[in-house]
Amino acid sequence: MSDFGFEEEEFSTSFSGKTFRRMLGQTRPHWRRLVGFLVTIALVSALDSAFTYISKEIVDQGILANDRAALRDWVQLYAGLIFIQAIGVFTFIYLAGVLGERIRYDLRRTLFSHLQKLSLSYFDRTPVGWIISRVTSDTDRVAELLTWGMLDVSWGIMNTATAVIFMLIINRRMALIVLTALPLIVIAAVQFQKRILAEFRNLRKINSKLTGTFAESIAGVRVTKALGREQQNLLEFGELTGAMYRSSFRAAWLSALFLPVVQLISAFALGGVAWYGGIQFQLGGMTLGGIQAFVSYITLMLFPIQEMARVFAEMQHAVASAERVFSLMDSLPEIVDRPGAFDPGTILGDIVFEHVDFWYDEQSPVLKDFSLHVRRGETIALVGPTGAGKSTIVNLLARFYEPKAGTIRIGDHDYTDLSLKAIHSRLGMVLQTPHLFSGSILANIRYGQLGATQEQVERATKIASAHDFILEMKDGYETEVGEGGGLLSVGQKQLISLARAVLADPEVFIMDEATSSVDTLTEARIQRGIEALMDGRTSFVIAHRLSTIRRADRIVLIQNGRIAEMGSHAELLRARGHYYRLYTQQFRRQLDAEVETLGAPSPAPA
Amino acid sequence: MTAELGTSDLQGTLATRRSVGLWRLAGGFRRLLFFAALGIGVASLARAATYLLVGHFVDVVLLREDLRRGLPWVAAGFIGLALVQGGLTYLSGRLAARAAEGIAKRLREYLFDHLQRLSFAYHAQARTGELVQRSTSDVDAIRRFFADQATNAGRILLMFLVNLAVLIRLDAQLALLSVVVVPVTVTMSYLFFRRISQAYEAYQEQEAVLSAALQENLAGVRVVKAFARQEFERSKFDTENWEKFRRGRRLLIMHSLHWPISDILSGLQMVFGLTLGALMVMDGRISIGTYLAYAGLIIWIIWPIRNLGRLVVEMSSGFGSYSRVADIIREEREPLEEGSYRPSTSPEGDLVFKGVGFAYPDGGGEVLEDIHLHVLPGQVIALLGPTGSGKTSLVNLLPRFYDYTSGSLLLDGVELKAYPRRYLRQHVGIVEQEPFLFSRTIRDNIAYGVGREVSPTEIEAVARAAAIHEVILSFPDGYDTLVGERGVTLSGGQKQRVAIARTLLMDPQILILDDSTSSVDTETEALIRTALERLMEGRTSFIIAHRVQSLMIADLILVLQGGRIVQRGSHAHLVAEDGLYRQIHAAQTRIEVELERELASV
Repeated sequence: MSDFGFEEEEFSTSFSGKTFRRMLGQTRPHWRRLVGFLVTIALVSALDSAFTYISKEIVDQGILANDRAALRDWVQLYAGLIFIQAIGVFTFIYLAGVLGERIRYDLRRTLFSHLQKLSLSYFDRTPVGWIISRVTSDTDRVAELLTWGMLDVSWGIMNTATAVIFMLIINRRMALIVLTALPLIVIAAVQFQKRILAEFRNLRKINSKLTGTFAESIAGVRVTKALGREQQNLLEFGELTGAMYRSSFRAAWLSALFLPVVQLISAFALGGVAWYGGIQFQLGGMTLGGIQAFVSYITLMLFPIQEMARVFAEMQHAVASAERVFSLMDSLPEIVDRPGAFDPGTILGDIVFEHVDFWYDEQSPVLKDFSLHVRRGETIALVGPTGAGKSTIVNLLARFYEPKAGTIRIGDHDYTDLSLKAIHSRLGMVLQTPHLFSGSILANIRYGQLGATQEQVERATKIASAHDFILEMKDGYETEVGEGGGLLSVGQKQLISLARAVLADPEVFIMDEATSSVDTLTEARIQRGIEALMDGRTSFVIAHRLSTIRRADRIVLIQNGRIAEMGSHAELLRARGHYYRLYTQQFRRQLDAEVETLGAPSPAPA
Repeated sequence: MTAELGTSDLQGTLATRRSVGLWRLAGGFRRLLFFAALGIGVASLARAATYLLVGHFVDVVLLREDLRRGLPWVAAGFIGLALVQGGLTYLSGRLAARAAEGIAKRLREYLFDHLQRLSFAYHAQARTGELVQRSTSDVDAIRRFFADQATNAGRILLMFLVNLAVLIRLDAQLALLSVVVVPVTVTMSYLFFRRISQAYEAYQEQEAVLSAALQENLAGVRVVKAFARQEFERSKFDTENWEKFRRGRRLLIMHSLHWPISDILSGLQMVFGLTLGALMVMDGRISIGTYLAYAGLIIWIIWPIRNLGRLVVEMSSGFGSYSRVADIIREEREPLEEGSYRPSTSPEGDLVFKGVGFAYPDGGGEVLEDIHLHVLPGQVIALLGPTGSGKTSLVNLLPRFYDYTSGSLLLDGVELKAYPRRYLRQHVGIVEQEPFLFSRTIRDNIAYGVGREVSPTEIEAVARAAAIHEVILSFPDGYDTLVGERGVTLSGGQKQRVAIARTLLMDPQILILDDSTSSVDTETEALIRTALERLMEGRTSFIIAHRVQSLMIADLILVLQGGRIVQRGSHAHLVAEDGLYRQIHAAQTRIEVELERELASV
């Protein structure tokens, strides 16, 4: 599912105090909530122990002393404390919960903002799924530990501590006997939780494999059916479910064993209490209510310990999660405004690549000593085989990446002296695989110019030949495009993204196979609009259609990261070189498209 | 777990009532569940006995002063009861886990197999993500239903009943007065949790919105940068993020109200019971030992009931998951073995179409109409026509991916519908335009279609014939190179040749080729063409053609339009005839001529 090197790294090898402190630091702006819920939880758990003590006094001072007044007093106290505790419960659930939501909100906001600053190269090497789980599940786990985790721990500590104090008050010797059982329970709890969590981790891995197998099996169902592989597939799948069954079952019976083991330990303590307490009772050192209280304290003690053990085992994961969240927060954008970066007011001017080297991966350079001088207002067509470096050139121009060596000049400036915004806000880009955002068609086109009026939008869509098909849609401009524009065809998406770029009214225009999926008729219509648009702007066109290439001022043939041939269409054909071969080959390829559309029921882009 | 792989049929377990469906789904594991429940019941009894022992200890042992003799027995009694209780709790937990995991495993395997046996029509309209979701998360929710929710609900009810029975034996009046609050708590929890589950769903929905927003932003990172819209994106995300915070807070207010209220109800009931008990002791109606036993037992009645409400809500999510899974199970499988005619040898490959028509089951009219055709064994038929003209639908009939809806189609003189699908799929090979390879080794991919061990020499032989052997050897791991996300990415042309090798190994008598080489360069195109021609030798072949070169080798060219054969014949014949073929041919020639003219003019 995930790419190499992005396997879910589960653990930081050692417990990192620094990460933990930084994690705690997230609560700092909201320290009042944190203190508030820690104080109330302490109160609530102290009251829990107090109730047991009151029950003891009801027996000793009320029933055994046959004192109705004392009984009434204690019962009233009990009832009053119930209300106070209820207020405490309300307060800590609310405070801890809101704190958790707030930490989630803060972390996600910070991460999202940071992601907007990171350079494209970061997104090239980081799978989307990895980033998403950092922003969603990892922040969840951090928030979870900082709130409910801390809550459970402080409840546990406070509960155990107050229980011990009350026991010491009732009978010191007996309390000490009971306390010997405590470490045993703690050890058992920690050991169990460690094993159970390890099994859960294993289970998660199996589960992601299982999900992958399901997905592949469904995606490849045609092949499976065509080749009759059903039985064999099922057998292989059975191994996976078998592993899952074993792991899941083990986790379940370990959990089921934990409570009885701890109960058994406390049963020994209980036996001890009965024995020693009985003797003490006869000697007068122990009351009936006291024995009862001890029994209650012992029985109830294992719950806080179980919770604490769980939190401590979980903590390692949360810290690992926090580490990943912080590593994303700390990753530096590679392309940033230099100190003193400025906005020249326009980027319309000669664009010059001077001895540019570039690679994504050092082992395989894409551009080597690439130089190109583009005059202001010129239209340049970039052609060449896949992987030759055409898209890289326009990506460098857009400063999504910067040259590894050499410079790119826009006007009279090295473009790294300009601010990113100065370049991006004056650039229009239309890509082969256009990306639309979910929302209406109108909102998507307005992405190019946020405050555009309906007239402006329609002017742009008319240039892009999108107006007519938009009006034919159910809700016209208000039609929802779906996630990633999924409700539209690729051709329609290309036209909308073209309109979006037109609306932005850029000074430099980049079209990377922008109309590859548009039918021939529409293409011809767009052509005129585009040509009018390119007038007075510097344009780079990576094209696939002959008509587009032919009309460029200059054609640059890129091969292996170098300019192999350059000149006008006529010049290059006359040379009978690579371009000539590429061109004639393209011609043949166009036949396919013609065959597919000829006589087809509807020539619409849909 | 005892069930054999894929042999059990879960379709029979479906029921209109979901509770009945879930009950039937547990078939074969109900005995385990029964014993798990029994274990919990007895464990609860043991716990109740512990408190009775406390009472006995106080009344008989402590107060009657035969301490030395009685004490060891009492202490041993505590430990003995704890052993019984712990042992049974563990055992029933184990049994319940075995049942739940077994049910889940069977369900997973069933779904996996079911999905690969559902019809093409089903898969054409289903969304992969949704099916995966149902087969994993929803199955897990059902597992949790059996492992935790149903078991816990059972445990709480049993505990309640057992402890109440014991209480009644202690003192009937006291017992009944101690549970007056129970109906109130249950009703209140029910009302609250209806709201809470709504608030929770709203919260979860927003979580989904938020991650969709993030995903979209990441997918559109180039657009965001190209238009310098970072600020806009930030505020868009912030709106959704804040909305989630708001919904989270709303959910929390409900939670933080519900818990204290039910705490107050339960707590007051406790105080009420304890006071009543205390007064009864003072009035001499019950012994102090009985009171102490009562004080212990009452906790185990009141607090579990408090948790019942939450369980009810969790169970409703299990019910929802069950409905979604049941929707898949309800679909009819495509019977692979059904068919009255089962020849033991390969077919000859003689095909006769007599007025064949086809319409997709979802309505939408005829995709193929009145197809008449006779194909002799070994003939090559080329299909040509615009998108949506029915080329693919026509070849999909041969392996019975879909069944023709009218007319008659005979293979070797026998109606095609009489052949079992498995037989046809063994003898009809398909090479798709964009073949699907699995993320396994290249070797496994080539051997994918044959259900037997294949020797390396055999694999190499077909790879050579498919002109892919050299390419495979150029990878560091050769034939053991992984394909896909975790391994090498093959180009379109390479994938196609691996698929050709895969089909060659199957050695089918009838062959279907979706011949598109538009994404490959000229050299590769020639390689693929040679490989394809080798593949077609001696087999009845259908080519979905896109280029003139492919048409040339065909014995018969069919031109399809709107689901009908509008023209048929050889190239020479068709060019001479007025019609679509000539139009296409003219378009091609026109472009060629234009090219020639342009080249001449420069």
